[in-house]
Amino acid sequence: MDDSTRRFLQRLIRRIPAQMLKTTLDKWGRLTAAQKQSMDFTEPKWAFTERLLDICEENGWTWKHITELEMTYVIDNPNQGMWYAFQLMDPEDDAHSVELTHFKEQFKSHLSELARPVSVKMKKHADEAIWIRIAWGDSFSRPNHQKPTYVVHHLQTPYVFVTSLTSKQKPLLSQALVLSTRHQAIKDASLSGRKLGAIRDLLMRQYQQVFPTSYPSPLAERNETVSNPQIEKEQAKSAENRLQMACEAFGDGMLPQLQSSVYKLETKFKDHTNKTMTEREEPFRCVVKFASTNLLESLRHCASSGIASTPVTPLLSSIPLKGRNYFIIKDNGPGPSSQTRQTQN
Amino acid sequence: MQGASATGVLSHLSRLEVQARSRKTEPQQRSRVTELKAAAEQLRMRREQLRAEVETHKNLQKLRTSMDKRREDEEGEEGMDEDSEDSELLRLMARHTQLNDLLYAHHIIGGYDAIKTRQGQGLCLSLPTAYDGVFLETYNLEIDVKPTPRIARHNIPPFIPLSDLVEQSDMKTDIRTFLDTLSQHLNAFSGRKQQLKLLKELHKSVEVMESNALCSILVMMVTVPKEKTAVLCTLDYTDHTRCLPTRVHFECNDKPLADSPDWDKTRSLLLETPVHKALSTMRNMGNIV
Repeated sequence: MDDSTRRFLQRLIRRIPAQMLKTTLDKWGRLTAAQKQSMDFTEPKWAFTERLLDICEENGWTWKHITELEMTYVIDNPNQGMWYAFQLMDPEDDAHSVELTHFKEQFKSHLSELARPVSVKMKKHADEAIWIRIAWGDSFSRPNHQKPTYVVHHLQTPYVFVTSLTSKQKPLLSQALVLSTRHQAIKDASLSGRKLGAIRDLLMRQYQQVFPTSYPSPLAERNETVSNPQIEKEQAKSAENRLQMACEAFGDGMLPQLQSSVYKLETKFKDHTNKTMTEREEPFRCVVKFASTNLLESLRHCASSGIASTPVTPLLSSIPLKGRNYFIIKDNGPGPSSQTRQTQN
Repeated sequence: MQGASATGVLSHLSRLEVQARSRKTEPQQRSRVTELKAAAEQLRMRREQLRAEVETHKNLQKLRTSMDKRREDEEGEEGMDEDSEDSELLRLMARHTQLNDLLYAHHIIGGYDAIKTRQGQGLCLSLPTAYDGVFLETYNLEIDVKPTPRIARHNIPPFIPLSDLVEQSDMKTDIRTFLDTLSQHLNAFSGRKQQLKLLKELHKSVEVMESNALCSILVMMVTVPKEKTAVLCTLDYTDHTRCLPTRVHFECNDKPLADSPDWDKTRSLLLETPVHKALSTMRNMGNIV
């Protein structure tokens, strides 16, 4: 094992929190039972790392094995860094029957042609997700394993989730994805977040949506527990209406955790009391950002408590409806889906 | 001093006091009585109203039973002889309740449930799915009716080709075809997903090597009891509107095994029965562990 590999392993072990070390190593599955016994998970990390390095030397492991360990860790703890969603467009006729081995081969070969040298590792997770780890190199150096790009894709869905991708690497990855999934184009889905599960659930509609029904609404039934029958709520009906509309716009129960929503305004300034600004020809450029630990939950609460007016304005309800949290608003209406972001870092 | 007390200040005061007290009690009594009278009147009116409602309801029930009975007996229109407005109204109300009950029955047996939203500008449809007598998920579509019917929002998973189906059928004139095809896709998907779930639960000895979100491909590893060889079975569900595979393929290191007539029978079994039931049969027949 050369120096860079050793340092990589040291850095990786430093990155993994102490309580997750055991489970991650178990999942990696490369240590024998005897070796596992000999590891002491209670000792300080630097000592632990030394022991692990010795075992790696014993077994003669290389980059291949260490990156596997990193991938195992990232798959279990994906919520580090920002994830960006992309959407594949215009499927070919055989896009629906692309199967796993075919996709893997095609992706590896296309990407190797486009970005030589490159190190690609693919793994299928239990929930039908394909994880891809890409270490990019260029004509002067070997693949750089310190800054890998991770890609997650579910076959037969149009969505791809990517983290740590630079603008130079983006067209190469896009081309490889488009060719291997048998589509014609890929575009930025204008959705980003820290939690992979959240943006995936939002796009695949895996959260509880609420639709109007003529039969007793589950919302009303659930909220019927009255604490004290002598307390009568004034305006109970309007509160119920607000709750229904808020849940129809955002969903019920646990909502996917988004952290922010950005509106980039390029509209003309409209305020009759301010002549100088209104008379300007160019649009007034302004960026509005909503941030929260759980944005959709906050917005739903705003609507149901009356802070935001109901029916919920399309500017807010577009977030779950269109599955995006970056909007460009021009004078002829909110940003159409063809708007793309300028830079991606 | 009695004469003096009859005309003195104190007596004057006490007389005023008595007067004031009597003034208070009498109007109080009077206003209370009028209050009670008004309340009684209101209650009487309410009673009359309720009586009228009960009467209408009874007539309605009679009419409903005669309508339902008439439908069963297939007799001609007998109906009420009087063409009065009342009877016409009653008949309409009876028909209305009949249609509502029919819609509710349709909803219970798993038919589409459609309701108007936003004062007639929107329509919300719910499509239930079921497999093998068990209700599975319900999917919903909210459609904007004007200017042309178009889907506003839905909770249909992205691997169901919704936009293709919308293009293929004309939503304006024949929304029923669109819904039927969509329902076929959704029911087939739910059915395949349920089969996969049952397979994983009931057959722990069979290992699922590959499946995908659409449940259109299934690769599993089964073990033959005698020689303990592993056979890889691939099931392709290329027709996404069906719950059964269109192609079954076996792979095994021991080539002659895969070509034996036993496995031909197994192949047709897997093509014709749901996978979890087929595996049970195969296990009972002794083909697999």
